[in-house]
Amino acid sequence: MGLIPLQAIRRKPVPDPADAPTEDIRELLFELEDAGELIVQRVPEPYIEVMTKYGRTKKIPVEQTWHHKSCGQCGHIPGYSTSIFWLNRKLGLDYFDPTDQTSCTAWNYYASATSNAAAQAGVAVRNFAAALETGYFPMIHCATSYGHYKEVRHELVHHADLRAQVRDIMGKLGKPLVLPEEIVHYSEWVHAMRDRFVEKQVYDFSNLTVTVHPACHYYKLIKEDAIYDPDIYGGERTATVSAMVMALGATVADYSTFFDCCGFGFRHILVERDFTRSFATQRKIEVMKEEANPDVTITHDTGCVTTLDKSQFSPEAHNRKVGIPVMSDAQFAALAMGAHPYRVCQLHWHSTDNRPLLEKMGIDWKAAWEEFSEDLARIERGEIEYLTWEEAGV
Amino acid sequence: MTTATRAPALFTRDPGATLSPNHYTEVPYEEKLRLWEQVKADSRFPDYMYGCYECGICVAACPSARFYDFSPRKIAQAAGREDVELIYEQMNDDVWNCSQCFSCDRCPRQNSPGGLITILREVAVANGLASSKKALEGYTRIVYKIMTTGTQVSPDMLQPDAFPDWGPDVRTVSENLDTWRRAMPPETHHTTSASWIVSKKTLTELYLIWHYSGVMDMIAQVDEGLHMIIMDVMEESLEEAGYEI
Amino acid sequence: MSSEGVGHREPARCDRVLVIGAGPGGLEAARLAAALGSEVLVVEKQSVLGGTPIAESYAALTHGFRSAEEAMGEMMAAAVDQTGVIIQASTEVTAVSGSAGNFSVTLSSGETVEAGAIIIATGFQHFDPGRETQQYGYYEFADVITLVDAEKMLKAHNFVTPSTGEPPKRVAFIQCVGSRDRQIGNEYCSKVCCGISSKQAIEIRQQVPDARVFVFYIDMRMYGYWENEIYWPAQEEHKVNFVKGIVTEILAKGGRLVIRGEDTTMGRPMEVPMDVVVLAVGMEPSQGTRRMAEILGVATNKYGFIERAPESLDTVATSVPGIFVCGAASGPADLDDTISSAGAAAAKAVALVRRAGVPA
Repeated sequence: MGLIPLQAIRRKPVPDPADAPTEDIRELLFELEDAGELIVQRVPEPYIEVMTKYGRTKKIPVEQTWHHKSCGQCGHIPGYSTSIFWLNRKLGLDYFDPTDQTSCTAWNYYASATSNAAAQAGVAVRNFAAALETGYFPMIHCATSYGHYKEVRHELVHHADLRAQVRDIMGKLGKPLVLPEEIVHYSEWVHAMRDRFVEKQVYDFSNLTVTVHPACHYYKLIKEDAIYDPDIYGGERTATVSAMVMALGATVADYSTFFDCCGFGFRHILVERDFTRSFATQRKIEVMKEEANPDVTITHDTGCVTTLDKSQFSPEAHNRKVGIPVMSDAQFAALAMGAHPYRVCQLHWHSTDNRPLLEKMGIDWKAAWEEFSEDLARIERGEIEYLTWEEAGV
Repeated sequence: MTTATRAPALFTRDPGATLSPNHYTEVPYEEKLRLWEQVKADSRFPDYMYGCYECGICVAACPSARFYDFSPRKIAQAAGREDVELIYEQMNDDVWNCSQCFSCDRCPRQNSPGGLITILREVAVANGLASSKKALEGYTRIVYKIMTTGTQVSPDMLQPDAFPDWGPDVRTVSENLDTWRRAMPPETHHTTSASWIVSKKTLTELYLIWHYSGVMDMIAQVDEGLHMIIMDVMEESLEEAGYEI
Repeated sequence: MSSEGVGHREPARCDRVLVIGAGPGGLEAARLAAALGSEVLVVEKQSVLGGTPIAESYAALTHGFRSAEEAMGEMMAAAVDQTGVIIQASTEVTAVSGSAGNFSVTLSSGETVEAGAIIIATGFQHFDPGRETQQYGYYEFADVITLVDAEKMLKAHNFVTPSTGEPPKRVAFIQCVGSRDRQIGNEYCSKVCCGISSKQAIEIRQQVPDARVFVFYIDMRMYGYWENEIYWPAQEEHKVNFVKGIVTEILAKGGRLVIRGEDTTMGRPMEVPMDVVVLAVGMEPSQGTRRMAEILGVATNKYGFIERAPESLDTVATSVPGIFVCGAASGPADLDDTISSAGAAAAKAVALVRRAGVPA
């Protein structure tokens, strides 16, 4: 094989933050704070530093996190949020799950355009002010909320008019204008903490093939603020999710539509469903099946899990080559560490059959389902009102 | 898509010069111009629109471009040329195809066609365009849910008639909803009418945000009935909390 | 600075021109300055002369497809053979003091030399595609290469698909990589990449006659005679396919690369397999240019190139009197620009040192 004099190992040089082509929005935040325009909530210690796209570092809090929940997650795939809490509890970390929280209301913005910049910013900073009041630092569960809040941060920093308007609205609520030092997605926390999960891993995942679907709103909005690592994909694609999956010992298999959107579309998944269904099937699931034949596909956003999981029933009825179980990185890590597939990961809410996957992981889902069925029976008999964390092992 | 019936013109403020086949002839040019001026006046506009050299990166990355006759490049071009006729047409016919994924933010000029579309949609909604009402026809209960509870896709929305193509699992969930919602540890999840338990004080604050940011005026344009029931819920709650709006 | 005035004598100007860099610009500047009668010292950081065309093994130049090595060899010989030129390779400038007419320059060899004028000819480096906003996977896929990687293969007459070693069936060029991009920060056009890609496309068609070659572009910038000497023959004789629409993603599918772009003629997204993708990487200031700017205290523009005031018609002046710049150190330049500006810099440098009364 006549090889030519190219570098044998092509390694991306670690980006120098001094060469970063964009502003560092955090510097601008602190300037505004000094000018008395807003309050910046600091990331509590201890924190882990991760690298973002242009070589800057980002602080990820280990604990004392205020969980900014995702409506789609808690509503339709509650095993996702439950797993995030379980991971915190398993590691003995202090966190807060608020009722003083609204969703980011992106459903009212990206989907229906029945909102505006001021309302969206108002919703965001109201949540941030609520977090500051508790002293816990916001951690965002949904990738859309995360991307949207990064946009809101940019708009507030750069538009004094908007800032004044929102400060005024907050004033009427008796709240200051607050922005956190970093906008942190929970999957960034999962990424930063992955070695601690590996320490507590009880199932061997080395026989698993995984495809990763990175969420559009995680890395395409305000691109510089997303995790990249020269050792993962040569620093060309976001390291979030993939690094964690690899750390747990599974193989990440590539496929040719990695960067494609899942097809969620917001409005589309509710009222123009043929788009979502066709897109998820033809551009993601079928391609993954054909090229990688994975045991599971892992992603880190509510919309993506919902779209990819729920869109497979219809095509299956049409004999399309689908049938890949779908779950979040949080559920995947939780399973690796011995979390109950039903009490914690709540896999019965998922549509695509994940039982063969559980078997391959070495998890006795039959026994687990019997236990859980007994829980359900006890609830129905009125013996217990709710399942507790104790019963979930944390 | 368009076959130009006139030669393309650079200065399309001239009402006679446009690339649009001009389906909306009954709407006066001044009205179309007025809406376009609203778009440009939005604080986000300068962040979303620079110049366009028609490289096609946005179309290449766009999921909607694969499924619909839709092109984010044409959105950016129409905006750059200020082709008011074409923009009005897009505001009616094209903007609801966008899936708001922001893959188009890869634009080397730093345009955001998806962001432009967000503003175009809001202007369409705020001005009561029939096409926007039509696009949001099936959506009113969702707006109601998110605006009154601060959450959406709540557990009680998992009904088979809402998601027929998701299979029999949806029926299973909806039949077992109450029990299943109790069978999970997080306390905040022990509800079915919202995605998590949201405190009353929080909702009060949310309603004040809707009120002060002018969102209620937009809702009034979408659907009178929707506006009414949301206002009822809001007013009741705010009164209880001691606010008068 | 006038030499008139009662009892006011100007210090004698040092009759030496210092040229920093021995690429095409530096070599021509040195040769001409010496031909005009000055002493010239050239310092070159590398151990080898010839600058980027030699260091990066350029195959043919767009000038009649002439061998770069041969052309540079001629330039080197002309400079070396010119009376008055001294060249020190493996040497860098480490410090400078003084002013026009009398600079004192410290070299990495330890010696200090005097010079009346300095010419910066430190050139450019290629954009690192890992910094690209689009998803090209240069650091993931062996078959995604740059113009530089392609030149090496073409020079060796061994243009192959790197992962297999076999001649490719389908090759794509992607233009404007690292240029014309607000997100990357390099908003300018790098001027030469369209010409070089078209040249390489022709060379590939000549060396691998079964290969289909595509060029994906925003605009084809074929200035002057490039249009008729390179662009038209590429399309008409060599059947290179030029497609308006830039590729945004490169992934792997079925053992080959798959590229995604918009064919703007058709107005829809397109996705096609390729064996090799060549990224037309643009120009950025070289490490040498950045370092010299700092050491010499000359102003740079926001892209890091030596600043030439936009309103100025002087193509070689820097912000420091007595220090001149030629070639790509001040911005994207093709070979003709470089050689012409080298001549202008040499003439102005010699005028400065040789003729009293000429303003610094």
